Amino acid sequence: MVTHPGSARVARAARRLNARRLNTPSPALVEAHAGGLPSRVNRQEVAVVREEWRVVDRWWTEEPVTRRYFDVVLESGENAVVYYDGDSGSWFTQRA
Amino acid sequence: MRPGMRLGEALATCPELELVEQDPATAEQAWEEILRRLEDAGFAVESVEPGTVFFDSKGVERLYGGLEPALKRALRAVGTAWDARVGAAERRFAALAAANVARPGQALIVSDDRSRSFLAPLPLTLLPLERARYAELEELGIRTIGQLAGLPGGAVSERLGPDGRRAWSLAGGHSTVAEDGRVQPRRPAVALHETLEFPEAVGNELTLRRGLAVLLDRLLARPERAGRPPRKVAVWARLVGGASWRRTVTLREPTADPARLRAALSSKLAELPAPALKLRLEFSQLAEHTGEQLELVAAEGEVLQGRLREGLRQVRAAVGAGGVSTVVEVAPWSRIPEARALLVPRDD
Repeated sequence: MVTHPGSARVARAARRLNARRLNTPSPALVEAHAGGLPSRVNRQEVAVVREEWRVVDRWWTEEPVTRRYFDVVLESGENAVVYYDGDSGSWFTQRA
Repeated sequence: MRPGMRLGEALATCPELELVEQDPATAEQAWEEILRRLEDAGFAVESVEPGTVFFDSKGVERLYGGLEPALKRALRAVGTAWDARVGAAERRFAALAAANVARPGQALIVSDDRSRSFLAPLPLTLLPLERARYAELEELGIRTIGQLAGLPGGAVSERLGPDGRRAWSLAGGHSTVAEDGRVQPRRPAVALHETLEFPEAVGNELTLRRGLAVLLDRLLARPERAGRPPRKVAVWARLVGGASWRRTVTLREPTADPARLRAALSSKLAELPAPALKLRLEFSQLAEHTGEQLELVAAEGEVLQGRLREGLRQVRAAVGAGGVSTVVEVAPWSRIPEARALLVPRDD
Protein backbone atom coordinates (compact mmCIF):
# COMPACT_ATOMS: atom_id res chain seq x y z
CA MET A 1 0.00 0.00 0.00
CA VAL A 2 2.60 2.56 1.07
CA THR A 3 5.27 2.67 -1.56
CA HIS A 4 6.79 6.04 -0.82
CA PRO A 5 8.60 7.25 2.26
CA GLY A 6 6.27 8.28 5.05
CA SER A 7 5.78 7.90 8.73
CA ALA A 8 5.27 4.39 10.02
CA ARG A 9 2.33 5.63 12.13
CA VAL A 10 0.44 6.88 9.05
CA ALA A 11 1.25 3.67 7.19
CA ARG A 12 -0.16 1.58 10.07
CA ALA A 13 -3.32 3.72 10.19
CA ALA A 14 -3.76 3.36 6.42
CA ARG A 15 -3.46 -0.43 6.63
CA ARG A 16 -5.91 -0.65 9.53
CA LEU A 17 -8.54 1.47 7.74
CA ASN A 18 -7.92 -0.14 4.35
CA ALA A 19 -7.16 3.40 3.20
CA ARG A 20 -5.04 4.90 0.44
CA ARG A 21 -2.73 7.85 0.70
CA LEU A 22 -3.93 10.98 -1.02
CA ASN A 23 -1.64 12.72 -3.48
CA THR A 24 0.97 10.01 -3.84
CA PRO A 25 3.77 10.90 -6.27
CA SER A 26 3.90 9.25 -9.67
CA PRO A 27 7.02 8.71 -11.79
CA ALA A 28 7.69 11.46 -14.34
CA LEU A 29 9.82 11.60 -17.47
CA VAL A 30 12.06 14.60 -16.87
CA GLU A 31 15.13 15.88 -18.71
CA ALA A 32 17.23 18.26 -16.67
CA HIS A 33 19.93 20.88 -17.31
CA ALA A 34 23.39 20.44 -15.83
CA GLY A 35 22.32 22.48 -12.78
CA GLY A 36 19.43 20.14 -12.07
CA LEU A 37 16.67 22.44 -13.37
CA PRO A 38 14.09 20.52 -15.44
CA SER A 39 14.10 21.35 -19.17
CA ARG A 40 11.41 18.88 -20.37
CA VAL A 41 8.61 17.22 -18.39
CA ASN A 42 6.71 14.30 -19.90
CA ARG A 43 7.94 15.21 -23.42
CA GLN A 44 6.92 18.86 -23.09
CA GLU A 45 9.33 21.82 -22.94
CA VAL A 46 9.42 23.73 -19.67
CA ALA A 47 8.56 27.38 -20.37
CA VAL A 48 9.19 28.80 -16.86
CA VAL A 49 10.38 27.45 -13.52
CA ARG A 50 8.14 29.41 -11.15
CA GLU A 51 9.47 28.19 -7.85
CA GLU A 52 11.98 25.82 -6.36
CA TRP A 53 12.19 24.41 -2.83
CA ARG A 54 13.73 21.54 -0.96
CA VAL A 55 12.25 19.10 1.53
CA VAL A 56 14.72 17.31 3.78
CA ASP A 57 12.97 15.36 6.49
CA ARG A 58 13.10 12.14 8.53
CA TRP A 59 16.86 12.00 8.23
CA TRP A 60 16.86 10.34 11.62
CA THR A 61 14.80 7.38 10.36
CA GLU A 62 15.47 4.52 7.95
CA GLU A 63 13.29 6.27 5.38
CA PRO A 64 14.87 9.70 4.96
CA VAL A 65 13.25 12.19 2.53
CA THR A 66 15.47 14.34 0.33
CA ARG A 67 13.53 16.07 -2.43
CA ARG A 68 14.13 19.06 -4.68
CA TYR A 69 10.77 20.40 -5.87
CA PHE A 70 10.11 22.56 -8.96
CA ASP A 71 6.87 24.32 -9.77
CA VAL A 72 6.98 24.67 -13.58
CA VAL A 73 4.82 25.96 -16.43
CA LEU A 74 4.98 23.81 -19.58
CA GLU A 75 4.88 25.14 -23.14
CA SER A 76 1.22 24.07 -23.41
CA GLY A 77 0.36 26.40 -20.53
CA GLU A 78 -0.15 23.52 -18.10
CA ASN A 79 1.22 23.80 -14.55
CA ALA A 80 3.15 20.92 -13.04
CA VAL A 81 5.08 20.20 -9.87
CA VAL A 82 7.96 17.75 -10.18
CA TYR A 83 10.65 16.71 -7.75
CA TYR A 84 13.97 14.98 -7.89
CA ASP A 85 14.31 12.31 -5.24
CA GLY A 86 17.86 12.42 -3.92
CA ASP A 87 17.72 8.92 -2.46
CA SER A 88 16.43 7.02 -5.48
CA GLY A 89 17.84 9.41 -8.11
CA SER A 90 14.44 9.51 -9.89
CA TRP A 91 11.94 12.19 -10.89
CA PHE A 92 8.33 12.27 -9.73
CA THR A 93 5.32 14.49 -10.26
CA GLN A 94 2.99 15.46 -7.44
CA ARG A 95 0.52 18.15 -6.45
CA ALA A 96 2.39 20.03 -3.71
CA MET B 1 -4.29 -16.76 -44.84
CA ARG B 2 -6.89 -17.78 -42.27
CA PRO B 3 -8.54 -15.96 -39.37
CA GLY B 4 -6.66 -16.24 -36.08
CA MET B 5 -3.27 -16.75 -37.77
CA ARG B 6 -0.29 -15.13 -36.01
CA LEU B 7 0.98 -11.97 -37.68
CA GLY B 8 4.54 -13.28 -37.97
CA GLU B 9 3.34 -16.53 -39.52
CA ALA B 10 1.12 -14.64 -41.97
CA LEU B 11 3.97 -12.36 -43.03
CA ALA B 12 6.29 -15.35 -43.45
CA THR B 13 3.71 -17.11 -45.63
CA CYS B 14 2.96 -14.06 -47.70
CA PRO B 15 5.73 -11.38 -47.52
CA GLU B 16 3.85 -8.94 -49.78
CA LEU B 17 0.97 -8.91 -47.29
CA GLU B 18 -0.43 -5.41 -46.73
CA LEU B 19 -1.52 -4.71 -43.17
CA VAL B 20 -4.59 -2.54 -42.88
CA GLU B 21 -5.30 -0.68 -39.64
CA GLN B 22 -8.71 -1.22 -38.06
CA ASP B 23 -11.06 1.56 -39.05
CA PRO B 24 -14.22 1.15 -36.94
CA ALA B 25 -15.36 4.73 -37.51
CA THR B 26 -15.39 4.36 -41.31
CA ALA B 27 -17.17 1.00 -40.99
CA GLU B 28 -19.77 2.57 -38.71
CA GLN B 29 -20.17 5.50 -41.10
CA ALA B 30 -20.63 3.18 -44.10
CA TRP B 31 -23.21 1.17 -42.13
CA GLU B 32 -25.02 4.35 -41.11
CA GLU B 33 -25.19 5.39 -44.79
CA ILE B 34 -26.78 2.02 -45.66
CA LEU B 35 -29.34 2.43 -42.86
CA ARG B 36 -30.17 5.94 -44.04
CA ARG B 37 -30.68 4.73 -47.62
CA LEU B 38 -33.05 2.03 -46.32
CA GLU B 39 -34.90 4.63 -44.24
CA ASP B 40 -35.10 6.93 -47.27
CA ALA B 41 -36.76 4.05 -49.13
CA GLY B 42 -39.38 3.80 -46.38
CA PHE B 43 -38.05 0.89 -44.30
CA ALA B 44 -38.19 1.38 -40.52
CA VAL B 45 -34.95 -0.37 -39.55
CA GLU B 46 -33.64 -2.01 -36.40
CA SER B 47 -29.87 -2.30 -36.61
CA VAL B 48 -28.54 -5.29 -34.64
CA GLU B 49 -24.85 -4.86 -35.51
CA PRO B 50 -22.97 -3.52 -38.54
CA GLY B 51 -24.04 -5.92 -41.29
CA THR B 52 -27.35 -7.10 -39.82
CA VAL B 53 -30.60 -5.18 -39.92
CA PHE B 54 -34.23 -6.14 -39.35
CA PHE B 55 -37.27 -4.37 -40.72
CA ASP B 56 -40.99 -5.04 -40.85
CA SER B 57 -42.05 -5.22 -44.49
CA LYS B 58 -45.80 -4.83 -43.84
CA GLY B 59 -45.74 -1.06 -43.97
CA VAL B 60 -44.07 -0.86 -47.38
CA GLU B 61 -45.59 -3.85 -49.22
CA ARG B 62 -48.46 -1.75 -50.59
CA LEU B 63 -46.05 1.00 -51.57
CA TYR B 64 -43.93 -1.32 -53.71
CA GLY B 65 -46.68 -3.74 -54.84
CA GLY B 66 -46.00 -6.79 -52.70
CA LEU B 67 -43.38 -8.45 -50.52
CA GLU B 68 -40.93 -9.48 -53.22
CA PRO B 69 -40.75 -6.05 -54.92
CA ALA B 70 -40.30 -4.47 -51.48
CA LEU B 71 -37.36 -6.78 -50.72
CA LYS B 72 -35.83 -6.05 -54.13
CA ARG B 73 -36.16 -2.35 -53.34
CA ALA B 74 -34.33 -2.92 -50.03
CA LEU B 75 -31.49 -4.68 -51.88
CA ARG B 76 -31.27 -1.78 -54.34
CA ALA B 77 -31.16 0.69 -51.43
CA VAL B 78 -28.15 -1.12 -49.94
CA GLY B 79 -26.36 -0.91 -53.29
CA THR B 80 -24.25 -3.24 -55.38
CA ALA B 81 -21.00 -2.42 -53.61
CA TRP B 82 -22.03 -4.84 -50.86
CA ASP B 83 -23.07 -8.45 -51.29
CA ALA B 84 -26.38 -7.85 -49.59
CA ARG B 85 -28.81 -10.72 -49.00
CA VAL B 86 -32.29 -10.56 -47.61
CA GLY B 87 -34.51 -13.13 -45.94
CA ALA B 88 -38.19 -12.79 -45.14
CA ALA B 89 -40.28 -14.82 -42.70
CA GLU B 90 -42.98 -14.41 -40.09
CA ARG B 91 -40.39 -14.71 -37.33
CA ARG B 92 -37.06 -12.93 -36.89
CA PHE B 93 -34.98 -16.07 -36.47
CA ALA B 94 -36.31 -17.70 -39.62
CA ALA B 95 -35.76 -14.43 -41.55
CA LEU B 96 -32.18 -14.22 -40.30
CA ALA B 97 -31.55 -17.86 -41.21
CA ALA B 98 -33.01 -17.24 -44.69
CA ALA B 99 -30.74 -14.22 -45.19
CA ASN B 100 -27.76 -16.35 -44.09
CA VAL B 101 -28.35 -19.01 -46.71
CA ALA B 102 -29.49 -16.67 -49.53
CA ARG B 103 -27.07 -15.92 -52.38
CA PRO B 104 -25.68 -12.36 -52.71
CA GLY B 105 -28.39 -10.18 -54.25
CA GLN B 106 -31.12 -12.77 -53.57
CA ALA B 107 -34.34 -12.23 -51.60
CA LEU B 108 -35.36 -15.52 -49.98
CA ILE B 109 -38.91 -15.73 -48.67
CA VAL B 110 -39.87 -18.48 -46.24
CA SER B 111 -43.58 -18.88 -45.58
CA ASP B 112 -44.69 -19.76 -42.05
CA ASP B 113 -45.92 -23.27 -42.93
CA ARG B 114 -42.57 -24.05 -44.65
CA SER B 115 -40.43 -22.48 -41.94
CA ARG B 116 -39.83 -25.68 -39.93
CA SER B 117 -38.78 -27.76 -42.93
CA PHE B 118 -36.62 -24.90 -44.18
CA LEU B 119 -34.76 -24.58 -40.84
CA ALA B 120 -34.36 -28.35 -40.27
CA PRO B 121 -31.21 -29.01 -42.38
CA LEU B 122 -29.44 -25.77 -41.41
CA PRO B 123 -26.41 -25.87 -39.06
CA LEU B 124 -26.74 -25.22 -35.34
CA THR B 125 -24.34 -22.26 -35.54
CA LEU B 126 -27.22 -20.07 -36.74
CA LEU B 127 -28.78 -20.38 -33.28
CA PRO B 128 -27.81 -17.81 -30.62
CA LEU B 129 -25.79 -20.14 -28.38
CA GLU B 130 -22.38 -19.97 -26.76
CA ARG B 131 -19.54 -21.61 -28.71
CA ALA B 132 -19.12 -24.30 -26.03
CA ARG B 133 -22.77 -25.29 -26.42
CA TYR B 134 -22.34 -26.09 -30.13
CA ALA B 135 -19.45 -28.39 -29.26
CA GLU B 136 -21.52 -30.00 -26.49
CA LEU B 137 -24.41 -30.64 -28.88
CA GLU B 138 -22.08 -31.95 -31.59
CA GLU B 139 -20.64 -34.44 -29.11
CA LEU B 140 -24.21 -35.66 -28.59
CA GLY B 141 -24.52 -36.13 -32.36
CA ILE B 142 -26.75 -33.10 -32.92
CA ARG B 143 -25.55 -31.04 -35.87
CA THR B 144 -28.63 -29.48 -37.41
CA ILE B 145 -31.46 -27.26 -36.25
CA GLY B 146 -33.96 -29.99 -37.13
CA GLN B 147 -32.19 -32.54 -34.89
CA LEU B 148 -32.35 -30.10 -31.96
CA ALA B 149 -36.00 -29.31 -32.65
CA GLY B 150 -36.77 -33.07 -32.56
CA LEU B 151 -35.62 -33.41 -28.93
CA PRO B 152 -38.04 -33.06 -26.01
CA GLY B 153 -38.05 -29.44 -24.77
CA GLY B 154 -37.77 -30.42 -21.10
CA ALA B 155 -34.64 -32.51 -21.70
CA VAL B 156 -32.97 -29.68 -23.65
CA SER B 157 -33.85 -27.24 -20.91
CA GLU B 158 -32.40 -29.54 -18.23
CA ARG B 159 -29.18 -30.14 -20.15
CA LEU B 160 -28.53 -26.66 -21.62
CA GLY B 161 -30.43 -24.28 -19.34
CA PRO B 162 -32.60 -21.31 -20.36
CA ASP B 163 -30.42 -20.40 -23.38
CA GLY B 164 -30.75 -23.93 -24.71
CA ARG B 165 -34.50 -23.88 -24.17
CA ARG B 166 -34.73 -20.61 -26.11
CA ALA B 167 -32.63 -22.07 -28.95
CA TRP B 168 -34.90 -25.14 -28.99
CA SER B 169 -37.99 -22.88 -29.23
CA LEU B 170 -36.42 -20.95 -32.12
CA ALA B 171 -35.39 -24.15 -33.87
CA GLY B 172 -38.86 -25.67 -33.69
CA GLY B 173 -40.79 -22.49 -34.37
CA HIS B 174 -42.38 -22.76 -30.88
CA SER B 175 -41.08 -19.35 -29.83
CA THR B 176 -43.54 -16.65 -28.96
CA VAL B 177 -43.17 -13.24 -30.54
CA ALA B 178 -41.84 -11.99 -27.20
CA GLU B 179 -39.08 -14.66 -27.21
CA ASP B 180 -38.20 -14.09 -30.84
CA GLY B 181 -38.47 -10.35 -30.42
CA ARG B 182 -40.50 -7.79 -32.29
CA VAL B 183 -38.77 -5.49 -34.74
CA GLN B 184 -38.12 -2.28 -32.88
CA PRO B 185 -37.30 0.39 -35.44
CA ARG B 186 -34.75 2.97 -34.41
CA ARG B 187 -35.61 6.63 -34.34
CA PRO B 188 -34.09 8.16 -37.47
CA ALA B 189 -30.74 9.60 -36.40
CA VAL B 190 -30.02 13.30 -36.55
CA ALA B 191 -27.00 14.24 -38.60
CA LEU B 192 -25.48 17.02 -36.56
CA HIS B 193 -21.73 17.02 -36.66
CA GLU B 194 -18.80 19.41 -36.88
CA THR B 195 -15.23 18.58 -37.92
CA LEU B 196 -11.92 20.22 -37.19
CA GLU B 197 -8.91 19.43 -39.36
CA PHE B 198 -5.51 20.11 -37.84
CA PRO B 199 -2.62 21.42 -40.01
CA GLU B 200 -0.45 18.71 -38.43
CA ALA B 201 -1.02 15.73 -36.13
CA VAL B 202 -1.95 16.74 -32.58
CA GLY B 203 -1.21 14.56 -29.57
CA ASN B 204 -1.29 17.26 -26.93
CA GLU B 205 -4.39 16.74 -24.81
CA LEU B 206 -4.79 20.43 -24.02
CA THR B 207 -4.94 21.35 -27.73
CA LEU B 208 -7.39 18.52 -28.36
CA ARG B 209 -9.58 19.73 -25.49
CA ARG B 210 -9.58 23.23 -26.96
CA GLY B 211 -10.50 21.79 -30.36
CA LEU B 212 -13.32 19.86 -28.75
CA ALA B 213 -14.59 23.01 -27.01
CA VAL B 214 -14.67 24.84 -30.38
CA LEU B 215 -16.60 21.96 -32.00
CA LEU B 216 -19.02 21.91 -29.08
CA ASP B 217 -19.71 25.65 -29.36
CA ARG B 218 -20.30 25.28 -33.11
CA LEU B 219 -22.69 22.36 -32.66
CA LEU B 220 -24.64 24.04 -29.87
CA ALA B 221 -25.09 27.07 -32.13
CA ARG B 222 -26.60 25.00 -34.98
CA PRO B 223 -30.21 26.07 -35.67
CA GLU B 224 -31.26 22.46 -36.56
CA ARG B 225 -30.96 21.62 -32.87
CA ALA B 226 -34.02 23.81 -32.21
CA GLY B 227 -33.09 24.17 -28.55
CA ARG B 228 -33.09 20.42 -27.92
CA PRO B 229 -30.21 19.17 -25.73
CA PRO B 230 -28.09 16.22 -26.92
CA ARG B 231 -28.69 12.84 -25.31
CA LYS B 232 -25.98 10.85 -27.13
CA VAL B 233 -22.69 12.38 -28.28
CA ALA B 234 -19.85 10.79 -30.25
CA VAL B 235 -16.23 11.92 -30.56
CA TRP B 236 -14.37 10.68 -33.61
CA ALA B 237 -10.74 11.15 -34.64
CA ARG B 238 -8.74 10.27 -37.74
CA LEU B 239 -5.35 9.14 -36.45
CA VAL B 240 -1.84 9.34 -37.88
CA GLY B 241 -1.30 6.22 -39.97
CA GLY B 242 -4.86 6.14 -41.31
CA ALA B 243 -6.65 4.42 -38.41
CA SER B 244 -9.69 5.94 -36.75
CA TRP B 245 -10.98 6.17 -33.20
CA ARG B 246 -14.48 6.74 -31.86
CA ARG B 247 -16.11 6.98 -28.45
CA THR B 248 -19.81 7.41 -27.75
CA VAL B 249 -21.14 9.01 -24.59
CA THR B 250 -24.78 8.67 -23.54
CA LEU B 251 -25.63 11.40 -21.09
CA ARG B 252 -27.61 10.44 -18.03
CA GLU B 253 -29.46 13.73 -18.31
CA PRO B 254 -29.55 15.47 -21.69
CA THR B 255 -27.93 18.87 -21.37
CA ALA B 256 -26.91 21.78 -23.56
CA ASP B 257 -24.65 23.23 -20.87
CA PRO B 258 -21.20 23.53 -22.55
CA ALA B 259 -19.34 23.07 -19.24
CA ARG B 260 -21.15 19.80 -18.43
CA LEU B 261 -20.71 18.50 -21.96
CA ARG B 262 -17.01 19.38 -21.91
CA ALA B 263 -16.62 17.57 -18.58
CA ALA B 264 -18.33 14.46 -19.99
CA LEU B 265 -16.34 14.38 -23.22
CA SER B 266 -12.87 15.73 -22.42
CA SER B 267 -11.83 12.68 -20.40
CA LYS B 268 -12.37 10.51 -23.50
CA LEU B 269 -9.59 12.36 -25.32
CA ALA B 270 -7.05 10.87 -22.92
CA GLU B 271 -7.87 7.46 -24.47
CA LEU B 272 -6.69 8.52 -27.95
CA PRO B 273 -4.09 5.91 -28.93
CA ALA B 274 -2.17 8.15 -31.38
CA PRO B 275 -1.97 11.81 -32.48
CA ALA B 276 -5.05 13.00 -34.38
CA LEU B 277 -5.22 14.68 -37.78
CA LYS B 278 -8.94 15.34 -37.64
CA LEU B 279 -11.44 15.63 -34.80
CA ARG B 280 -15.19 15.34 -35.21
CA LEU B 281 -18.03 15.77 -32.76
CA GLU B 282 -21.50 14.37 -33.44
CA PHE B 283 -24.80 14.80 -31.67
CA SER B 284 -26.07 11.28 -32.45
CA GLN B 285 -29.35 11.69 -30.60
CA LEU B 286 -31.22 14.73 -29.36
CA ALA B 287 -33.76 14.81 -26.53
CA GLU B 288 -37.33 15.71 -27.38
CA HIS B 289 -37.75 18.35 -24.71
CA THR B 290 -36.32 21.84 -24.88
CA GLY B 291 -36.53 22.80 -21.22
CA GLU B 292 -35.88 21.38 -17.80
CA GLN B 293 -38.30 21.42 -14.87
CA LEU B 294 -36.64 23.26 -12.01
CA GLU B 295 -37.66 23.09 -8.36
CA LEU B 296 -39.59 25.98 -6.89
CA VAL B 297 -38.15 25.35 -3.41
CA ALA B 298 -34.52 24.23 -3.18
CA ALA B 299 -34.04 20.99 -1.25
CA GLU B 300 -32.35 21.21 2.12
CA GLY B 301 -31.90 19.34 5.40
CA GLU B 302 -33.11 15.73 5.44
CA VAL B 303 -34.25 15.82 1.78
CA LEU B 304 -30.83 16.99 0.62
CA GLN B 305 -29.09 14.40 2.83
CA GLY B 306 -31.36 11.70 1.41
CA ARG B 307 -30.47 12.67 -2.15
CA LEU B 308 -26.79 12.68 -1.31
CA ARG B 309 -27.08 9.19 0.22
CA GLU B 310 -28.94 7.98 -2.87
CA GLY B 311 -26.27 9.49 -5.16
CA LEU B 312 -23.51 7.79 -3.17
CA ARG B 313 -25.43 4.51 -3.29
CA GLN B 314 -25.59 4.78 -7.08
CA VAL B 315 -21.85 5.48 -7.30
CA ARG B 316 -21.15 2.43 -5.13
CA ALA B 317 -23.44 0.30 -7.27
CA ALA B 318 -21.66 1.49 -10.42
CA VAL B 319 -18.02 1.18 -9.35
CA GLY B 320 -18.21 -1.33 -6.50
CA ALA B 321 -17.14 -1.25 -2.86
CA GLY B 322 -14.48 1.33 -2.16
CA GLY B 323 -15.93 3.64 -4.80
CA VAL B 324 -16.79 6.27 -2.20
CA SER B 325 -14.11 7.54 0.17
CA THR B 326 -13.65 10.28 2.74
CA VAL B 327 -10.53 12.41 2.99
CA VAL B 328 -9.13 12.14 6.52
CA GLU B 329 -6.37 14.53 7.47
CA VAL B 330 -3.72 12.71 9.47
CA ALA B 331 -0.78 15.13 9.41
CA PRO B 332 -1.84 18.37 7.68
CA TRP B 333 1.29 20.10 8.92
CA SER B 334 3.64 17.64 7.19
CA ARG B 335 6.07 18.95 4.60
CA ILE B 336 5.64 15.71 2.67
CA PRO B 337 2.43 16.06 0.60
CA GLU B 338 1.45 12.36 0.60
CA ALA B 339 1.72 12.16 4.40
CA ARG B 340 -0.97 14.79 5.02
CA ALA B 341 -4.19 12.90 4.28
CA LEU B 342 -5.69 9.45 3.68
CA LEU B 343 -8.60 8.33 1.51
CA VAL B 344 -10.72 6.08 3.73
CA PRO B 345 -13.45 3.98 2.03
CA ARG B 346 -17.00 4.64 3.28
CA ASP B 347 -19.52 1.86 3.41
CA ASP B 348 -22.37 3.69 5.20
